[in-house]
Amino acid sequence: MVVSIETIGPLLLSIRVASLATLAIVVVGLPTAILLARGRFPGKGLLTGIMTLPLVLPPTVLGYVLLLMLGRQGPVGKVLERLFGGVPVFHWTGLVIAATVAAFPLFLLPARGAIEAVDPGLEDAARLLGRRESSVLLRVTLPLAWRGVLAGALLAFARALGDFGASLMVAGDIPGRTRTAAMAIYDAVEAGQPANAAWLSALIASVAVVLLIVVNRVMPGSSPPGRPPSKSDP
Amino acid sequence: MSQSLPLSNQGPPRAGPPAPSGRDDRGPRPSAGSPPDAGDRPPILEVSVRHRVHPGLFLEVDVTVGREIVVLFGRSGAGKTSLLRLIAGLDRPDEGRVSLGGRLLFDRAEGVCMPLRARRIGMIFQHDRLFPHLSVAGNLRFGLAGRPRREARDRVAEVASLCGVDALLDRRPGTLSGGERQRVALARALAPRPELLLCDEPFSALDLDARDALADRLRRIQAREGVPVLYVTHSPAEARRLGDRLVLLDGGRIAAEGSPGTLLGRRSGREGDDEPSDDLHATTLRGVVVGHDGQSTRLAIDGGPELVVPRLDRPIGAEAVVSVPADDIILLLGPVAGLSARNLIPGTVERCRPTGAETEVVVASGAVRWTARIPAASAEAMALQPGLSVRMIVRARSVRVRPVPPTLQDTFTPLNRPSP
Repeated sequence: MVVSIETIGPLLLSIRVASLATLAIVVVGLPTAILLARGRFPGKGLLTGIMTLPLVLPPTVLGYVLLLMLGRQGPVGKVLERLFGGVPVFHWTGLVIAATVAAFPLFLLPARGAIEAVDPGLEDAARLLGRRESSVLLRVTLPLAWRGVLAGALLAFARALGDFGASLMVAGDIPGRTRTAAMAIYDAVEAGQPANAAWLSALIASVAVVLLIVVNRVMPGSSPPGRPPSKSDP
Repeated sequence: MSQSLPLSNQGPPRAGPPAPSGRDDRGPRPSAGSPPDAGDRPPILEVSVRHRVHPGLFLEVDVTVGREIVVLFGRSGAGKTSLLRLIAGLDRPDEGRVSLGGRLLFDRAEGVCMPLRARRIGMIFQHDRLFPHLSVAGNLRFGLAGRPRREARDRVAEVASLCGVDALLDRRPGTLSGGERQRVALARALAPRPELLLCDEPFSALDLDARDALADRLRRIQAREGVPVLYVTHSPAEARRLGDRLVLLDGGRIAAEGSPGTLLGRRSGREGDDEPSDDLHATTLRGVVVGHDGQSTRLAIDGGPELVVPRLDRPIGAEAVVSVPADDIILLLGPVAGLSARNLIPGTVERCRPTGAETEVVVASGAVRWTARIPAASAEAMALQPGLSVRMIVRARSVRVRPVPPTLQDTFTPLNRPSP
């Protein structure tokens, strides 16, 4: 009785939204992380601050700002309206946008940290061996930073999966259309259906726990790849 | 070490007997001309740079390197590594130009700065900088991207056997010993056939035997591949062992230039021979004067730290033999604040030998073994045992300076550069 369209539908929507949001986050976030880790330019601190703002803003405030920007009267909304003939507000795409923005810093910070942790001496060595910058990035920096990047992506996915405040502000809670798992839990409790709420909560929680275990496994430092103390030839 | 020293610069630089093994297979080299003059080996690398490294160090160096090993020698902070970085392109000189084999790598006036990847310079570092995520073979192949697969494979096999790492090709750098790692680093740097090899104290973290073996190997490789080598070290023994020519850097400037034998004094045998680790009463050390500060003089010790001793009236680059009485070394376990003694030398206890009321402690620091004699009760109270990290306090005044053959000063060659 608990496995119904009321519980599975929102869960599938949440997973779809979180997957798309994670994809968008990695596509935008990886170049940003590289830029912030290795670039030297004025306004870097400001950019970092703006990028991490969603981490400290209350989700509802974040959602409200997004609503203002994406709405028909908002600066971004006007452009979208002209381009696509509609705005993502109260639409599942709004869910993706809200989850993307809310979860972005959770990817950016570990990814940037992992890239920063790569010894620039190794990158210099690669350059001296004749490699151009793109090759240095693909063959040295990213292979050495992938753990942190993957950990960031998983954290972002977990955050996107559970987003409530921002999604609710932007996309509303339209049953069958924008009702995510987090919203469904809230609604189930409101409607006096604790079994549904418990079932969904357990599902979401188990996904989160699995993710956490994976993150802990891939996170740099969990299985120290550090060099053994160097000793000389016998 | 009692062989006659060449008082004039006649004859081939390596003619003086006895020549340690490893130098004989260097192939024929032009032997006419005086050692300080690089004219017999036409310059391939030409460097003329002025660069403010930091407020306390201004580099002003003109140097050329031909198909030879030029040792860049000097105390830490003299600007050796900074100079290598400028040549490699890791830093840009404030002024000057760098050219390699007729190609202009850098010229401030003309606004030329070739990117690192196009310089064709191999470099090995104090820390090997191997790619930890690649196998040894992957590391060696790294600089051969874009070559035909077959050619790359052959070259990897060639440098691997040249550097003695054939058996390690499938291993990861993390599983290698320090000496193996540096051999791989050398092979990796050589694989793309660089036009210049820069070495930044690559073997300084290794023990003496591994160091000697690698230095000899580098000599053989240099002779075979003919690549010009600029080698930074602060170890006089390494400088003598490797260098065709020595450039002494002090305070960012070239203080002297010439054959290592002339500048540092010739010695027979291997480095370890004159470190009488079993001397019960004193530690005898051989060093080279690298600087004077008021009433004291700094000595660079073979395979060890710098030592501050009372002022020696000898020029920079001159050799000195000093000894430190075993009773004058104080051992220290914990931290110390405010110390009047000038030398605080870290080391590891190698062995303790009780001799009645006293205990003799041998402490290894770098490649040097120091002998200290402390009261047995102290040794017991400190729980001294092999493997324990200690520090040795050595007052400058307790360092005895032994006489050294005076000929060194006669043959000391002041800076006298041929104009290119």
